[in-house]
Amino acid sequence: MLLRCLAVIFLCLALPCTVLAATEIEISSPGEQTIPLGLTKLLSEQGTRADRIADEFDEVLSADLDLSGLFRFVDPKSFLDDAGRVGLFSNQVNFPQWRLLGAETLIKGTYHLDGDNLVVEGRLFDVVNRRLLTGRRYVGQPKDIRRMAHAFADLVLKALTGEEGPFSSRIAYISNQTGDKELWLMDVDGKRPLRLTNHRSIVLNPDFSPRGKEILFTSYRANNPDLYRKEIYTGKEAKLSYQPGLNVAGRMSPDEREVALTLSKDGNPEIYLISTSGRVRKRITDSWGIDSDPSWSPDGGSIAFVSNRQGNPHVFIADIFTGKTTRLTTRGKYNATPAWSPKGDRIAFTRQEGGRFDIYTIKSDGTDERRLTFGPGNSEHPRWSPDGRFIVYSWDKDGNRAIYVMRADGTGSRRLTSLDSDCRHPAWSPRW
Amino acid sequence: MKTMQILKLALVVLFLVSGIVGCASTPPPSEEGTISQADMSQQADVKPAADAGQDTMKSETVPTHMDLAGMGNIYFDFDQFTLSAKARKTLADNAKYLKANSGTQVVVEGHCDERGSDEYNLALGESRALAAKNYLVSLGVSAKQLSVISYGEEKPAAMGSNEEAWAKNRRAEFKAVK
Repeated sequence: MLLRCLAVIFLCLALPCTVLAATEIEISSPGEQTIPLGLTKLLSEQGTRADRIADEFDEVLSADLDLSGLFRFVDPKSFLDDAGRVGLFSNQVNFPQWRLLGAETLIKGTYHLDGDNLVVEGRLFDVVNRRLLTGRRYVGQPKDIRRMAHAFADLVLKALTGEEGPFSSRIAYISNQTGDKELWLMDVDGKRPLRLTNHRSIVLNPDFSPRGKEILFTSYRANNPDLYRKEIYTGKEAKLSYQPGLNVAGRMSPDEREVALTLSKDGNPEIYLISTSGRVRKRITDSWGIDSDPSWSPDGGSIAFVSNRQGNPHVFIADIFTGKTTRLTTRGKYNATPAWSPKGDRIAFTRQEGGRFDIYTIKSDGTDERRLTFGPGNSEHPRWSPDGRFIVYSWDKDGNRAIYVMRADGTGSRRLTSLDSDCRHPAWSPRW
Repeated sequence: MKTMQILKLALVVLFLVSGIVGCASTPPPSEEGTISQADMSQQADVKPAADAGQDTMKSETVPTHMDLAGMGNIYFDFDQFTLSAKARKTLADNAKYLKANSGTQVVVEGHCDERGSDEYNLALGESRALAAKNYLVSLGVSAKQLSVISYGEEKPAAMGSNEEAWAKNRRAEFKAVK
């Protein structure tokens, strides 16, 4: 009897706890199941009409959330009076009204200008259970509005899936907009492009260090393809590897202690590990053919790369400690540009078939190959977002090559850069 | 009796707990406290490229590559760096020129067509230039007279996405270093 009583007490205590703890809504894979979302525009706490600030926040946030594939937006035209009411506490929100419109989640927010400062508050509500899921107050200047919206989109994804979004990170790429191929950096929605180099030569093949403060790239500035490193925030730049011949495809290891790259100093393109001061530490490959394009596994134990050692270019995986090498791709006659997912499970690559390149992913054990793009034109240079949800790539379907982003299952593709210049070789930064 | 007391206690606890959970309509307990603040102005801004005049890097004297009338280009098949009979004949003529002009420093440029991955093509261009260099050395040209550079698909000789342009672009060129 005593035990049963205790059990009842325990159950009564535990039950509400589990309900409270279940802030995450289970989503298995994007696109398969979408959550109906009421996304309202920011309201001014100072009573002014919704203006450019609210419009820009809404534009950025809705584009990010739409790309995620997790939501089905309730048509703003159907919104009732609660969408125009400022109250942000869960007891001020008219949840039955949102239920009526079919919304299961709701985003509301406010902003006010405080001198030169802009203060934005965003809240995400669970309409069904009538409670606040998450919220944050952003303090900055009006020019920070896009960053605030990206940061809030990251937070919304974290609240609903347990994993933060990648929308506050950046994408590096190569553009010939100035007439020369230079290194550029932009937001993940393609906005705010910024040129980082002024080499007036050929700059190629950027990659971020895992903690995001540096970019490695190759430049012909000194008339040889040398590997450079550049600090993003200070702009400081230095040559990292300048062996005779190729110093290309530099990729920093996950622990940032070594750089894998292709050197041809020994008479044949091979993959080496060098220290962060440029000293050669280890040779990874040794074959008669071409070995290039290294990509680290997230645990730092293996490197995927391209080799034509068995005739045609295929993707191989080398264990960097034992040197044991296994072939990953078996189909097609030309497989290249492997990119290991930050989650470790899949490797994206390109395959040429019928004279065209398309993007594929495959499990790191060589099973479950999936084709993500289906032309027209060539899709190349796949790289993962830091959360593994998205793939950024280049596509030349409109003549000039531009940067595109899609979900990791190949859906939701959209163009990020203009068609005025040739843009290629995107690399997605870690979270900043 | 003792059991009854515990049961009473249990009911009291149950009542309290359900009170807390059930009253969502009253002002939410410290909902405001769960809202954290992010200061956007604390994040550093990315530094754009310095203008040429204020570039942080010292300028370097970059050697220029000059066309050489006496040396013919050689061409390759797609994704190949093996030398065809025609290429070997051109290289034999080039070797004669190089031996006759042993004071001329020559750079062998390896190029690819636009198809294929950029990194792989950089390696392929390097292999083409090295194949040409090694063949010239086997014909008695001094290795010291020759250097190689790969431009991958970066410097096409012919524009266009067709077999005619691609065939012209899969090549090795021989230039004087000034």
